[in-house]
Amino acid sequence: MSRTILDVHVLQTVPPSNLNRDDTGSPKSAVYGGVRRARVSSQAWKRATRRAFEDLLDPAELGVRTKRGAEILATRISELEPSIEAPEALALAAETLQAATGSTIAVPKRKADAAKKKGENEPPPESSYLMFLSSRQFDGLARLAVEGAADIKAFLKVKSNKDWARRIADTRHSVDIALFGRMVADSTDINVDAATQVAHAISVHEVENESDYYTAVDDHNSDAEPGAGMIGTVEFNSATLYRYAALDVDLLRRNLGEGLREDEPLTEPVRRAVWAFVYGFVASLPTGKINTFGNHTLPDVVVVKLRTTRPISFAAAFEEPVAKDITGGYLRTACERLAAYVPDIERAYGVDDTTTWLLRVGAGTEKLSGLGTEVTLPELVDAVGAAVAGRLEPGK
Amino acid sequence: MSVLLLRLAGSLQSWGSAARFARRTTESAPTKSGVIGLLAAAQGRDRGDDLTDLAALRFGVRVDQPGTRIRDYQTAHHGDTDKSMPVSERFYLSDAVFVAAVEGDGVLIDELYRALRAPAYLPYLGRRSCPPSKPVELTVHMDVGLEGALAGERWHAAEWYQRRLRREKTVALEVIVESRSGGDDPGDTLRDQPLSFDPRHRRYGLRTVRSTSVRVPNPLARTVAARRTPPPDHNPATVLKGV
Repeated sequence: MSRTILDVHVLQTVPPSNLNRDDTGSPKSAVYGGVRRARVSSQAWKRATRRAFEDLLDPAELGVRTKRGAEILATRISELEPSIEAPEALALAAETLQAATGSTIAVPKRKADAAKKKGENEPPPESSYLMFLSSRQFDGLARLAVEGAADIKAFLKVKSNKDWARRIADTRHSVDIALFGRMVADSTDINVDAATQVAHAISVHEVENESDYYTAVDDHNSDAEPGAGMIGTVEFNSATLYRYAALDVDLLRRNLGEGLREDEPLTEPVRRAVWAFVYGFVASLPTGKINTFGNHTLPDVVVVKLRTTRPISFAAAFEEPVAKDITGGYLRTACERLAAYVPDIERAYGVDDTTTWLLRVGAGTEKLSGLGTEVTLPELVDAVGAAVAGRLEPGK
Repeated sequence: MSVLLLRLAGSLQSWGSAARFARRTTESAPTKSGVIGLLAAAQGRDRGDDLTDLAALRFGVRVDQPGTRIRDYQTAHHGDTDKSMPVSERFYLSDAVFVAAVEGDGVLIDELYRALRAPAYLPYLGRRSCPPSKPVELTVHMDVGLEGALAGERWHAAEWYQRRLRREKTVALEVIVESRSGGDDPGDTLRDQPLSFDPRHRRYGLRTVRSTSVRVPNPLARTVAARRTPPPDHNPATVLKGV
């Protein structure tokens, strides 16, 4: 079986900042190579990536996390078959969603009682947990509900129909779910295995957290009460981070399903998702304390590798902490390390059929220039998306 | 019987055996369930698939570099309302290196070795966010048992760590091996014998383990004659043999 795995490696320098802090307010850290490193947890960067999708993708490609899936589904049923009236559509939707996800869909007792007291109509049913469903899944379920509209209960009792409902809820996930996974708390059948693996970002060098003591002046201070309005400290560090993520493109394709529109290739959903993931992961930044430090930076180096057997992280290149170079920074040495390490490990393990793209900024990163095809970010995401789609073309 | 050796090295790893809910702890060495899970994933088995053959492998692990335990405090926000969700604590081993071994039927061991070189699911060290920083598979031994393979493997600690112990020509590494089933070997018990990874009912059985140590040469030992003879090996448990 031919495999497609994408590795994304990033070197990014952040000035004084506190991107991701623990419960005492200190920037998170880890020990690696025997010294303390700055660390940004994987979940912090995944959240930032997911946030970036809101600007990159169409809402229809993203999931909705809600308890009120029955209402959304009912609207689609009515749109599909206008002869079905609203209350009937809601009942159809509740039954279908229940069969598809295994979750109980019912009117919450508290809301039902409240409505009764006021003499209002019964409120719409809800699931007890938040469900994460994609627009395409809602469409599939709506079609199924319309098909069985005559007697939905009997229709869904037929095993093949019930299985079909489950399969709809378990395929054609939204881009964010396909990439990062999903949990439906009371139905483990339709958990989605995330196609990505995001490592904790760690600094390539030793880091000591620093602390900034600040005073703030009250603008309405009177002479009788001079002095600071408040004082405090905020901890921070600055770091050159190594960030790594692996993307299992085959699993992503299984999670997303194939394109259905006739005017687009079957691999279009995967291409879009890969495009968005690489863009989002490279260009996003966790928002922790960003208004305090204004640490908006972009990566200095991005290396993307399209692999055919297994992912390879380059974290070990930085196991020995990078020392400051003569100019005082870490980036130049980090690039030298990477330039030496990458061909070394790939030769040792016999991985040579990879395609490599390189995005680099500044003279300090020159050492890496032989590593792959040099591109800009827009070129990178387009090239990676196209290459992935090419590999997944049927018959390849 | 063959033995497959694995190197588990990464900036972070996490091997929970009794971790549930908001506090996710890690053991100080890889668990059998964690390593079997890694192998099953490499083969492409689904969580619900049968794993009796893998669970029957005898498991051992050598602590090449113990690492440091770090605590991660994780907050979460509601997807729609952005309200804070319960915080959780996750523990990781930072900077650790282990050599793990599984012993069993030669055909299966060869299959596993091949699977690790082209894994069906992406490999990770106990938790998804902990990718290995070096390829996991090492070698397959056909002639030595589990203990022999673990004793004979070179030391995989990082260079800085080997240099730190340069006064010692050989270093003692802790080895934790599974007792042979059937024997009433005394030892500790761990609940990490995987029975099912099915997310609907994950189940683990008890496993008896024995902790010993092996000496391996330190490649970065100072070749100049050591200062004095090192203190004798002190292991009071040897006196208890046969009790």
